Amino acid sequence: MVSCTEFIMAYNELFSYLEEHHGEKSVIEFWQGISDNFLQNLRQLVSQKGIQGMKEYWTHTLTEERAKYDMTATEEGFTIEMYECPSVGILRRNRHIQRYSKYCQHCDLLYKRIIEDYGFCYKIEYLDQEMGRCRVTVRKKRD
Amino acid sequence: MTTKIDIHKDFHGSFSYGLQFLCENYGQEEMEAYLTRLARTVYRPLIDSLKLRGLPALEEHLIYIFNIEEGKFEISYQNDVLVFQVGKCPAIHHMKEHDYPIAQKYCEHCRILNQEICKAAGYNSSTEYDQDKGSCTQKFWKEK
Repeated sequence: MVSCTEFIMAYNELFSYLEEHHGEKSVIEFWQGISDNFLQNLRQLVSQKGIQGMKEYWTHTLTEERAKYDMTATEEGFTIEMYECPSVGILRRNRHIQRYSKYCQHCDLLYKRIIEDYGFCYKIEYLDQEMGRCRVTVRKKRD
Repeated sequence: MTTKIDIHKDFHGSFSYGLQFLCENYGQEEMEAYLTRLARTVYRPLIDSLKLRGLPALEEHLIYIFNIEEGKFEISYQNDVLVFQVGKCPAIHHMKEHDYPIAQKYCEHCRILNQEICKAAGYNSSTEYDQDKGSCTQKFWKEK
């Protein structure tokens, strides 16, 4: 069984495999599929609770993944300041793994696709992809 | 001794989705090719350890991951064969518990990974499973 502790490496390998054998378009289609089919819990939380739903979702996942981050949630917006992304940390520590060059991009596609359906703008800034530092900013869309 | 480690079990669902994506879009052969590659990249340290230390390396690996994932299993040696019997697969159990779709060929990944890891290290394996029940018997032995 591929354990949860090995999943990030397996995920990374799948991105590389898809791109090498079927092109970048295939990786994008896979990410879209994950977002549409497998993040129903995030979609439900955002549709029902808005920013509080985002806070709930990422507090749960980032705690389980032991990320080092700060999170702020107000009525107007939501931010995650990621200091040490747990996934990137796993790929850095396991030196026998060749990291997929666009690994971090999946966080843009997966979440933007959901959050922007509910009246928000989602932006991710990659501050240091090698070290796993990024900033996610969500704001309410203005009419 | 079992060490309690926090793990994000929803990863099982994402991995299962990846297998289904490969099968549906490119066919089962592509899923098998991906898993073969996975065995030889992600599991390279296990292959090296199996070559160096033999079946105890595999035994320790299985005990470690099934303990942290809280699976139910029995592991023993029958003559020179390592026998790993899984009564409750933690991945299948978690996906069923949360009503996540399970890839039609999900359990094949264990068979293929075991086979490729063993092949690369000079060993052999058999994996018989019942995906609906989330149980299986995996056997490992040195190639003569």
